[in-house]
Amino acid sequence: METLLSLSNDLAGAVERAARAVVAVHARPRLASTGVHWRPGVVVTADHTVRTDDDLRVTRPDGRTVPATLAGRDPATDLAVLRVADLAGPPAERGDPARLRVGHVVLAVGHGPRASWGVVSTLGEAWRTWRGGEIDRLIRLDLTLYPGFSGGPLVDARGDVVGLVTSGLARQLELAVPASTVERVVEALLATGRVARGYLGIGLQPVMLPEALRPVVPGAGEQGLIVVNVEPAGPAATAGILLGDVLVALDGRAVGDTDAVQGVVAGRPIGSAVTVSLVRAGAPVQLSVAIGERPAGKR
Amino acid sequence: MTAIATPPLAASAGIAADLEAVAGRLRRVTVVVGGRGQGAGAGIVWRPDGLVVTNAHVARGAVGVTLADGRRLRATLVGRDPGRDLAALALPVRDLEAAAVDDGTDLRVGQLVVAVGHPFGLAGALSVGVLHRGPTGREDPDGGWLVADLRLAPGNSGGPLADERGRVLGVNAMIHGGLALAVPSVAVQRFLRRAGLVAP
Repeated sequence: METLLSLSNDLAGAVERAARAVVAVHARPRLASTGVHWRPGVVVTADHTVRTDDDLRVTRPDGRTVPATLAGRDPATDLAVLRVADLAGPPAERGDPARLRVGHVVLAVGHGPRASWGVVSTLGEAWRTWRGGEIDRLIRLDLTLYPGFSGGPLVDARGDVVGLVTSGLARQLELAVPASTVERVVEALLATGRVARGYLGIGLQPVMLPEALRPVVPGAGEQGLIVVNVEPAGPAATAGILLGDVLVALDGRAVGDTDAVQGVVAGRPIGSAVTVSLVRAGAPVQLSVAIGERPAGKR
Repeated sequence: MTAIATPPLAASAGIAADLEAVAGRLRRVTVVVGGRGQGAGAGIVWRPDGLVVTNAHVARGAVGVTLADGRRLRATLVGRDPGRDLAALALPVRDLEAAAVDDGTDLRVGQLVVAVGHPFGLAGALSVGVLHRGPTGREDPDGGWLVADLRLAPGNSGGPLADERGRVLGVNAMIHGGLALAVPSVAVQRFLRRAGLVAP
């Protein structure tokens, strides 16, 4: 019975360890969600569980409920950061999500603490959420996220926190945001209260580039993107991009679909320049566009 | 985490062997209560002299019981508490192998728990999960549940929830949103004492 006992003790130990940094977050009526003590005095939770900006409270592992203030939120990655003055105990001990493998036994820990176990089901490369948030790694889990578990830690068998679990990024999928992404977003939210996302202010549709046209523009591929909308006074308009222009490359790299454009632009610093290669009435044009900040509320 | 200085699959092979041993142990003390197939529930041999514990919703009167060795016997109902969803049956046998029972005072959230029962008519099926939360209802000596992150189906009712060693922690009674709820063994002991079936 040794190995089974060993596994059982490891799992129980992992829950105990992680639970020292798990709090209940009271930011919506009825059902508290879970949060992780990420840095001293800082709790990270799932943004979709924060329905109010004031009278936020957090219940500590010792059972005491204390006030919290909202430091910032990023709906694109479903993360929100709270400042909690009265939060005793050490922050979560983190593990490296890059070391996860499909089949690894993992736990989700909810406030209480409560435990749910399972395995890493799928791992993939960086992906973009439907709101344009960049998640460093795709982590899908075969485990149950019980009510109130969103915002809590994904824990490996050692008890290290390798990510945050949430039901808010995709329907019917148990996903985790890797610790590396959480750290990046926490940093941005603590500094400025939001995550600034780059944008061009432009609507695009894929088109096939005629063969004859491809050699005309260096770096062009088989597809380009025709401009069907230009936001007045947006970054593209300011740079002189016109309706009907066909985008073929950004910074010398061919772009054939809107995901490729988002991939270059959304992660770039606001104000940095990107070189846009396009075809206008059959002739090549190159323009430099200063990346602007996506206005709040716009996709 | 204990360092394992053995080939990579040795740990999983060990776990598989241990699970097989636990499943075997529990199957020997688990009975089928009621008709065969989907209508059946489970029961636990609580004492070698034929005392079997199950849920009140599984046994409402005299009922047929199938032992682990295949013998089919007629059991009489000797105690029933619908409020706690427990029932006690008496089998006309002696010297049965009885469950090892644990009073659950040292349970840890996240530890492994196992269940044996007859979900979907499969006899002696094993489920493995973890303890979801600390025991509820400490304030009420007659109340409280053990809650496990464990997948059960209706034929598991009345069967054992046990620890990694196969010691029975409770009687599986309910499923709720992916969780399994069991009546703790201390509540079972109280029920048996009140019914005059065990010494106080």
